Amino acid sequence: MADIAYPIAERTLPNGLRVIVSQDRTVPSVTVNLWVKVGSRDEVPGRTGFAHLFEHLMFQGSANVASGEHFSALMGVGGRLNATTWFDRTNYFETVPKGALELALWLEADRQGRLLDALTQENLDNQRDVVKEEKRQRYDNAPYGHAMRDVYATLFPEGHPYHHPTIGSMEDLEAATLDDVHAFFATHYGPNNTVLTLVGDISPEDGFAAVEKYFGPLPPSAVARTEGSMPPLAPLTGPVRLERSEPVPNDRLYLAFRLPADATPEFHAVGLAMDAIGGLSSSRLVEHLVRQERLVTGLTAHPLGFAGGVSLGLISADISAGVDPADVERAICAELERFAETGPTDIEMESAVAETERAWLSALASHDDRADHISHYAALHDDTAYINTFLAQVRAVTVEEVRAAAARYLQPSSRAVVAYLMAPGPIADEELS
Amino acid sequence: MTGVPQRTRMSAPDALPRPDVLVPQPYELPVPTRFRLANGASGLAYDLPGQYVLSVRLSVPMPLRVEPRDLEGVATIMARTLDEGTARHTSVEFARLLERRGVAIGCGVGDSGLSVELDVAKHHLAYGLDLMHQCLAEPAFPAEEVARQVSTRLAEIEQERSVASHRAAAEFAATFYSPVGRSSRPVGGTAETVAAITRDAVVAFHAEHVAPAEATVVVAGDLAGLDVVAELDLSLGRWGTPDTYRSPGPWQVTPRADDRARIVVVDRPSSVQTELMIGAPGPDRRHPGGWAPYPLLGFLVGGSPTARIDAVLREDKGYTYGIRSTFRPRRRGGVFITAGSVRSEVTGDALRLLLDVLEHGREGFTQDEVDHAAQFLVLTAPSRYATADTIADEAASLSFDGLDTGFTSRNLVEIAGMDAERAGAAYREFIDGRWTVVLVGDAASFLADVQALGRGDVTVVPN
Repeated sequence: MADIAYPIAERTLPNGLRVIVSQDRTVPSVTVNLWVKVGSRDEVPGRTGFAHLFEHLMFQGSANVASGEHFSALMGVGGRLNATTWFDRTNYFETVPKGALELALWLEADRQGRLLDALTQENLDNQRDVVKEEKRQRYDNAPYGHAMRDVYATLFPEGHPYHHPTIGSMEDLEAATLDDVHAFFATHYGPNNTVLTLVGDISPEDGFAAVEKYFGPLPPSAVARTEGSMPPLAPLTGPVRLERSEPVPNDRLYLAFRLPADATPEFHAVGLAMDAIGGLSSSRLVEHLVRQERLVTGLTAHPLGFAGGVSLGLISADISAGVDPADVERAICAELERFAETGPTDIEMESAVAETERAWLSALASHDDRADHISHYAALHDDTAYINTFLAQVRAVTVEEVRAAAARYLQPSSRAVVAYLMAPGPIADEELS
Repeated sequence: MTGVPQRTRMSAPDALPRPDVLVPQPYELPVPTRFRLANGASGLAYDLPGQYVLSVRLSVPMPLRVEPRDLEGVATIMARTLDEGTARHTSVEFARLLERRGVAIGCGVGDSGLSVELDVAKHHLAYGLDLMHQCLAEPAFPAEEVARQVSTRLAEIEQERSVASHRAAAEFAATFYSPVGRSSRPVGGTAETVAAITRDAVVAFHAEHVAPAEATVVVAGDLAGLDVVAELDLSLGRWGTPDTYRSPGPWQVTPRADDRARIVVVDRPSSVQTELMIGAPGPDRRHPGGWAPYPLLGFLVGGSPTARIDAVLREDKGYTYGIRSTFRPRRRGGVFITAGSVRSEVTGDALRLLLDVLEHGREGFTQDEVDHAAQFLVLTAPSRYATADTIADEAASLSFDGLDTGFTSRNLVEIAGMDAERAGAAYREFIDGRWTVVLVGDAASFLADVQALGRGDVTVVPN
């Protein structure tokens, strides 16, 4: 298939802000997308959850913007906006009618440069409460809600930046003071630790000028994070496991593996391996365990790419009623061993690449997602044009490279297993009574 | 990577004056090309330059009341088995045929009928349509695949029961709708009815209820250089209506329960949060007073962190991560739903505040509020409907109601000109203080507080 070629123009302002513009005039809107190079991996012990709490505080006003006004001012002129926090970064984004681009940039610049003028104890207390509810809703009050926390803690060693989840610990958040928040902002937020991407109905010249107008005066105030500074983390040398008895609806197994860092040829290769092993609907594990043996009712396998020297490969399996999870684990391990020896078939390669192509084209279909991908690879991998070259990189991977990557990274002996097993809990008690 | 020594932050200079916003051009959703296939299906094609993954959506209207009462869920099992083997290919072969060209097909059932979705890179459209045609025209429904889908659905029922928001929705339906109506029970059936579903039942249901005669097919994406109608004629157009097919007939109003205005607590001891679902009757898209006020009202009351509800419950009280309101239209009649979760110990106060905010809307809305909501809905439309899948989904969803995206465009015009008086009257027309309230959580920690509100009968049921 034809290669994709979205236009990419880039400029770095004197204060270090990296600006990328990708013109697309099909819709009269512009997406503004900022990646700030701070995530939960940058948190220090005793201050987990800070990057995420901070993301909330960025909506509570700045020197010239009232609390909540960031949302209302943009929504009132047709903006859709939000922000998210992850291990490697925090992103802020809005898609606005092109006539509101300058307002969006003005608002973003005000909170990038002048947040602390507006930060109060009251805002901190309120958003801490909101974040606690977010944690209760998404993790504490959901079946398997803490499974990923357990996966990170089991796969990555104590003290490793990916050992703790982004939501952090409530005790740490409880201990957060205004001084902590000030220090966090001073360290991490500033144009020299940020990438800003515009996608949409704007030329590179106009885009650069508009960004320069509002962000140009900000000083390079952050301690810029250097990417590539985290050392690689080799695969586990022996299996580790964590079992929990919980009131879950069915037994579920997570098998996790340390993979190479994102945006590397080896990561692409091991991603294709995971597709062939369990990610595709026609994959080996789905065919054997789901369709034929019916040992599991559902199975997924996919890589989560991180920037800091290691990524995560995850296989999860919902165990059918009456089936011993140990049998499923043995079957998965046997398939991993076979795959590491023989590698993928030609049809498996063809399928894994074809599915990757469609998924990538879909992921770039909207301005918002395209902007997010551009910022991602510019900020974390210094590769501004990655959206255009990724598919060629994937297509260049050979069968032998996929086999070798599986042999190195997806060995049963390198697995971390987190098992959520059904326990008689309040739910089961109800049925008995 | 970690902390740095204390230092003085470099201070930013004063900001520039807040820039003005330029008023955008009026917008209308892309206009489709309309056609009809030889088998009677209606067609809509949306050319969206630059959208290289095409989205094809097929909608087959089918009220769920046509399911046999003791086999409810058979429509869902039928849909999920459509792509699990055809006359020419086994389930595994079919999955491989799809994935070798990166073709994604999904089949599902909602309360309006059967949806089949195809997403495919532009250069594989003909290949994808051929496979989609095989799913619809010659599904094999292998007995072992039907049995597997039944097992999967049974596991899913338990999973849904364990998720507070799903549990709340199920209890809401059972409380709000009359038990004589299909809508009071889960779309995908219950454990008892699903367990009784056999291959024969699936085959019979498919033969009677799935046909192109009243179906609509939507294709959206970059169509340059493609003859979409010709491609469809060679594939879906060859799918015929079997003699066994029975037209669904007229749609009926879903009967509501006489005692729907009450509070039901689903007791989940030790829950750290309470999931709330509050509802009242709402309009459908053909409401005599017009549909346009209702998306606006849902947004104004509970559509954002600065909407009326979250301004109080999230930003002032810190009780919740977010609570959302929406008017959901059905083919006949609709429902106004407010849902979200709060921490257990404030459940009583949260419910009191929520009902206050919802009922306060009867006193009307300011023109500023209405304008703000209207601006959001109207001015975000170009980017909300910018991709092939969003346009195709909108068109397919409306096709169940005999409408198309012209309806969406006309509503945007009406919303842009909405005055506060009309919005307030539209709200009062449905919101009368009679609520169905479902609370899923630890009853012991809030039951007395909820009873003390004096908002009607409180029933406690097990999870």
